[in-house]
Amino acid sequence: MKEQPVVFKGTRKGLHVYISNDSDMSEILEAAAGKLRSGKPFFEGATVNLTFLGREFDSREQAQLLELFSRYMKPGSVDFQIQPVSGEKQENPTTDHYHSFNGIEEGMTRFVRGTVRSGQRIFYEGNIVIIGDVNPGGEVIAGGNILVLGTMRGIAHAGATGNPDAVVASYCLQPTQLRIAGYIARAPEGETEKPPYPEVAYIKQEQLFIEPYLPGKGKQTDYILNNKV
Amino acid sequence: MGEVIVITSGKGGVGKTTTTANIGTALALAGKKVVLIDADIGLRNLDVVMGLENRIVYDLVDAVEGVCRLKQALIRDKRFEGLYLLPAAQTRDKNAVSPAQMQKLCEELKEHFDFILIDSPAGIEQGFKNAIAGADKAIVVTVPEVSAVRDADRIIGLLAANELIEPKLIVNRLRMDMVKRGDMMNIEDTIDILGVDLLGVVPDDENIIVSSNRGEPVVTEERSLAGQAYRNISQRLLGKEVPLINMETEDTFMEKLRRLFSGKNNKRY
Repeated sequence: MKEQPVVFKGTRKGLHVYISNDSDMSEILEAAAGKLRSGKPFFEGATVNLTFLGREFDSREQAQLLELFSRYMKPGSVDFQIQPVSGEKQENPTTDHYHSFNGIEEGMTRFVRGTVRSGQRIFYEGNIVIIGDVNPGGEVIAGGNILVLGTMRGIAHAGATGNPDAVVASYCLQPTQLRIAGYIARAPEGETEKPPYPEVAYIKQEQLFIEPYLPGKGKQTDYILNNKV
Repeated sequence: MGEVIVITSGKGGVGKTTTTANIGTALALAGKKVVLIDADIGLRNLDVVMGLENRIVYDLVDAVEGVCRLKQALIRDKRFEGLYLLPAAQTRDKNAVSPAQMQKLCEELKEHFDFILIDSPAGIEQGFKNAIAGADKAIVVTVPEVSAVRDADRIIGLLAANELIEPKLIVNRLRMDMVKRGDMMNIEDTIDILGVDLLGVVPDDENIIVSSNRGEPVVTEERSLAGQAYRNISQRLLGKEVPLINMETEDTFMEKLRRLFSGKNNKRY
């Protein structure tokens, strides 16, 4: 069986792109473009450190690859590494999926101080904590949980890399749109009452629930923390 | 050294130009040396609102390109001591000047004036970037409409990215009768979303249109409510603490009675 020409792997240091040794350049570019297209909303606007692993590329091929990737994301550091043809098979990833973030209980967290305003986009592979508001038109996208210590009025996408255990919690949850993994919910039409208590959104039985998380009303919270679906 | 303040909004038609003209005039009336810069190259109208259109010989682009000396492009407003206008070019576009050139221009004007007010064009493109390039402070103008507030929010974000943090907010064209009926966003909601300091609230006033058409800023009219609001705003810019004007319209007897019993006082904006 011929291996896939291009395999993406998300790591703590950024995106690793494994490139098969026996594919030619046009095949590689085509496969990479396909993958980038399907992951477009995820990569969009993000600064990603890129590491290309595989055979040696000449400067023209390197430029081609970089040009393709920079159409979908802002490349941070870029590194080309040569990997031997064989012997390292076990190190190659077995899935072609951008690994979902697993640090829901504890893991990498980015803290953002200040208000996320319209047109701003906060992206992080791990959990995100916003110390401020998220206004309409602002977007927060996290591989893990999203916590807003203020009012959430924009778009939140928790578990964006495919983790349905992620939650979105806010002192005042009034999002335009709420997404967890592949699930999308939008605000009800018309005037909505401002919720008087902090709330948490999560996925249970393939449905998105929004419930208060205050002590005393915390049955749901216990459920989320102790019995993962 | 003077202070460069950019007046911006994102959305068009919320009253940037009117605000610039009126604050500038009010500051000049308060004895300050003021220059108004129209940064809306290609769509100039600050000169029209100021009634100085027929006196333009050179403009901002001429001054920047060295066609004339900066002093030659400045139009002195004969009605108000210490008030000058640097008009925009009408036959060029936003790319005719660069942010670096605007910065240099502002530095030069700072040495001769107390206040340099820049009227920014709508949008977030080149013209906006030019307008904010030389600014020390920013005033964001919005109207109590969802779309304008959304744009103001975006602008505040962009200003912060350009190190113009903590801009001041002017809520323009507020209609108390509509707010009372619940048909218009109120001030509290607007500030709650934008989270910036309020510099002033200007009531909707027909006089603005009349005075703009005549080329006479409304601040000169003692009895206009909007004029009073602009005078207060300029006093606040000078560091004085002025309470917001009472914009309650005349109430009917029944309304007064109802408020008396409900224990609510007149809201002061």
